[in-house]
Amino acid sequence: MTATALELRAVTKTFGGLVSLDALSLAVQEREVLSVIGPNGAGKTTFFNIITGVYQPDSGDVLLYGESITGQSPDRVARMGVARTFQNVRLFLNLTVRENITAAMYGRTKSNLLDTLFGTPRARRERRENEERVLDALSFFGTRLQGYRLDQPAYSLSYANRRRLEIARAMATGARVLLLDEPAAGMNPAETHEITEIIGRLRAERDYTIVVIEHDMHVVEGVSDRVIALDHGVKIAEGSFDSVATDPSVVEAYLGRGSAAKK
Amino acid sequence: MSEMEQSEVGQNETGRGIGTDEWVAQHEDRVGAPQTGMARVAQQWTRLPGLVRWGIPLVIFLSVPFIGSSDYILRIGVNLGLFVLLALGLNLVVGYSGLLDLGFVAFYGFGAYAYAMLSSEQFGIHLNSLLALGLVVATTAAFGFILGLPSRRLTGDYLAIATLFFGQMFAVFVVSSDEFQLPGMSDPVDITGGANGITQVDQISVLGFTFETNLSYYLLVVALVVFFTVATKRIHFSRHGLAWRSLGEDSVAAQHMTIPTVRLKLLAFTIGAGVAGLAGAIFASVQQGVYPSEFMLPLLITIYAALILGGLGSIPGILLGAFIMVVLPEVLRFPDYSNGIFLAVLVIAVIVMVKSWKVLVWAFGGMVVIGFLVNGILLALKVPYLAAQEWITGPLAPVLGVWVFMPENRVLFGNIAFVALVGLAAWMSIMSRRTRLIVLPFALWLAIWTWEVRLLLEPSVTRQLLIGALLIVLMAARPQGLLGKPRVEVL
Amino acid sequence: MEYFLEQLVNGVIFGGVYALIALGYTLIYGVLQFLNLAHGEVYMMGAFFGFFTMTALGGPSMSILPVPLMILLMFVVAMGGSALLGIGIERFAYRPLRRSSRLAPLISALGVSLFLQSAALLLFSSKVRLYDSNLFLNMQSGISFFGVMIDIAEIMVVVGAIGLMVVLWFLVNRTNLGRAMRAVAVDQDAAVMNGIDVDRTVVWTFGIASALAGAAGVMSGLLLYPVDQYIGVFAGLKGFTAAVLGGIGSIPGAMLGGFLLGITEAMVTAYLNPTYSDFLAFFILVIVLLVRPRGLLGRPALVKV
Repeated sequence: MTATALELRAVTKTFGGLVSLDALSLAVQEREVLSVIGPNGAGKTTFFNIITGVYQPDSGDVLLYGESITGQSPDRVARMGVARTFQNVRLFLNLTVRENITAAMYGRTKSNLLDTLFGTPRARRERRENEERVLDALSFFGTRLQGYRLDQPAYSLSYANRRRLEIARAMATGARVLLLDEPAAGMNPAETHEITEIIGRLRAERDYTIVVIEHDMHVVEGVSDRVIALDHGVKIAEGSFDSVATDPSVVEAYLGRGSAAKK
Repeated sequence: MSEMEQSEVGQNETGRGIGTDEWVAQHEDRVGAPQTGMARVAQQWTRLPGLVRWGIPLVIFLSVPFIGSSDYILRIGVNLGLFVLLALGLNLVVGYSGLLDLGFVAFYGFGAYAYAMLSSEQFGIHLNSLLALGLVVATTAAFGFILGLPSRRLTGDYLAIATLFFGQMFAVFVVSSDEFQLPGMSDPVDITGGANGITQVDQISVLGFTFETNLSYYLLVVALVVFFTVATKRIHFSRHGLAWRSLGEDSVAAQHMTIPTVRLKLLAFTIGAGVAGLAGAIFASVQQGVYPSEFMLPLLITIYAALILGGLGSIPGILLGAFIMVVLPEVLRFPDYSNGIFLAVLVIAVIVMVKSWKVLVWAFGGMVVIGFLVNGILLALKVPYLAAQEWITGPLAPVLGVWVFMPENRVLFGNIAFVALVGLAAWMSIMSRRTRLIVLPFALWLAIWTWEVRLLLEPSVTRQLLIGALLIVLMAARPQGLLGKPRVEVL
Repeated sequence: MEYFLEQLVNGVIFGGVYALIALGYTLIYGVLQFLNLAHGEVYMMGAFFGFFTMTALGGPSMSILPVPLMILLMFVVAMGGSALLGIGIERFAYRPLRRSSRLAPLISALGVSLFLQSAALLLFSSKVRLYDSNLFLNMQSGISFFGVMIDIAEIMVVVGAIGLMVVLWFLVNRTNLGRAMRAVAVDQDAAVMNGIDVDRTVVWTFGIASALAGAAGVMSGLLLYPVDQYIGVFAGLKGFTAAVLGGIGSIPGAMLGGFLLGITEAMVTAYLNPTYSDFLAFFILVIVLLVRPRGLLGRPALVKV
């Protein structure tokens, strides 16, 4: 019996007069890969922002493994086990690759300033462990982000590498649930294929629960156990990729009423 | 900068796995020996063991007291060391966490005044030094915490103004609190000595040993600088250091990566303030007095200038910037020296920025010619002037005395020249390269003429002018400072 | 009661000066999202420009021109000079930094501020100047407003301040330039795509904002406040407080904030302790920023994550 990793109960969020999420309810099982699709402005990134605590919902609840995380600050949510990537990659550009990943391990380590100043055994031990975790997280992506790249500033990375680094950084937090916001955006077909594989491996080899926002249907098709379609903050379809992709209301949301009729 | 990828999408069958990156694998072959002389020196330097790299500057600084036994130099050394402490403290707040605290100097002042109030006749309290220092650091840190509280909700611009205001408030409070009316008391109380400050502050005495001489304070300060520099270095790569630097980069992303940004901002403010408070207390005891004018905006801007000139977040940069900001004005006090240094800096700057020697000849040659031309014109116009010996002494006198026309009404001519120079410099910043080079000789002459005729007369004002101009030019031309690394920002 | 009214009137009068400075901050922030920390120094320079115009014309006591003309010329020179100064600062100190970090323009503004203060010290010496307007204006003449005497200098200041605000309102809401300013304030890139010359608009914005500050400087001089190279610091900070109080980026907000601050300050000075009046502005600022950062008339800022 798998646990419910992440659950939203009737979450509503409005901005001024605009309803961004309208009594949205959904549940994500442990080790499930759920994709969220929908036209721009459907509320997908808001949905992530509510989970991670950037916004407070106007009503409703967000639960992580049964425990309420509604309205907790993002750093608390992260420490409780939810990590994310951003639609426009938000790396620490002037820090090196290694530093980007090590920074994210703050919540998993305990050394304080005194430990640092006096080089206590705890400080040294944690530094060793962090180094191992860095290599471990990066090993997922082949040799791309290894070797001399570890000490290059993040701004020197190519776009695709930046997206990979962001995922590795999210892994480094020790989270169990990953929220990936358009991980394949701006990637060429080869890179897109690779991201699809990586997401699959993240679940298969590391037991992550993953929620993916995506526009590229190849990726959605390739990774998803289940797909949810949102439009104007409302869930308009839910199910397997095939059923959602052909659902008339989904087609209408993307392509307009005429196309749905033609189908 | 961006690398080209020659990667292969892995096929599980071949067993090569995802993304084997040929480019990365061939890195060692690509990176050859460094080419330029500077790079070779830099590489050799980094090869030396850490102990040596730290030890050499340390030995240099420790041997200062034995070179020429001037007390004045020791005093400058103490000031330099305190300044470095301030810079390191501010680095934590601005350099790492990106929090623009423009009221920082108030903590320095607060530490100095607090110590003075606990160790002088102001209230008749003469606390044991260690106790006083401890109390001062603790209370200053607490104030830092309080000032940091608004930072939870204030972003860069607003935080800057709020902290600036706070610093101004402190200055006003200190100056006007020699007659502080406490409710319920009939007479006003003199808390801070007003504009005259507090005098006869005790010197620090620890375990029976009293710091009486500049030498003793110098050694104390060197020890503290070493401690805090090493501490900063260690913090830089540590868990907290990375957390601060991440929050300075992108506070929202940092939060999402488990970093408790609010707590860390407060911690940065608190520690920064504590360090400044400690420096202030020591300052009060060295000087044996505190005066409000020392803790005002110009000092704050000087500290920022030091940080930025050296390079935010770079430890050697901080030390270098502090050195320049403290030592240079001292040198400027001696007109002969300051003359020489100004000219030397000008010449070096031109040589560094102009690569072709033909242009150098044009620049300096033209400058000399223009100088004599102007002399001729002004003489013909019968403008009253001063003979060389009336306005200059020192080794450069023979040359400058002849070449520079010194009008009797130095202030008037100098002011006009100054305004013209500023206008010209600004205009040159937007000229095309060719026009700029054509105008260069005239600009050089005007700069030297303005310096000699007017700016030399008022070293303290000139110092402020130069710092202000330095900040403006630095931000436009080289924001990362001398030793900092170029940064990338996303807006 | 009469005392209260007198303080109220004082507050409104100086509030007008604060409002003019606040408008400068708000205009520049609205268009560029940049806090011009050197704005107070432009006010200071304006005060000096006005003073030197007056002395050049033979004032305060022996003006070669009729007094109203002399005063007009003082305003013209101060506002024109300040405008040029502001435009110069934008062109050479801020424009190169438009696409760089958030910190760089603020540091540059600090540098400009220090540079201007020192330049004033160098060029004008540390002597404190006074307009001595009582020598060319008959301070006994004036009007009586519900029993409170308002002398002619104060009338001029109020009328001038309100007049300038009206002109500004007209400019922003009824001219093409104003429309361009509003467009650039909302979205710079979209404005470019609609054919708006952003650089030119920014130049005009800085010019107008600085001219207002210059006018405020002359007014403060006419009200017999001393003129030296440090007056920009507090005037700038208070003007900024007024702008934030009213809502930074909002023009009516700046006006409202200016008057409110002026009145509150007058009341505190009169009924509590005069030394606290400087602190007051600071407290107001902190409280506004903590409780309602958008100010009284501002719109909440939405940041996309």
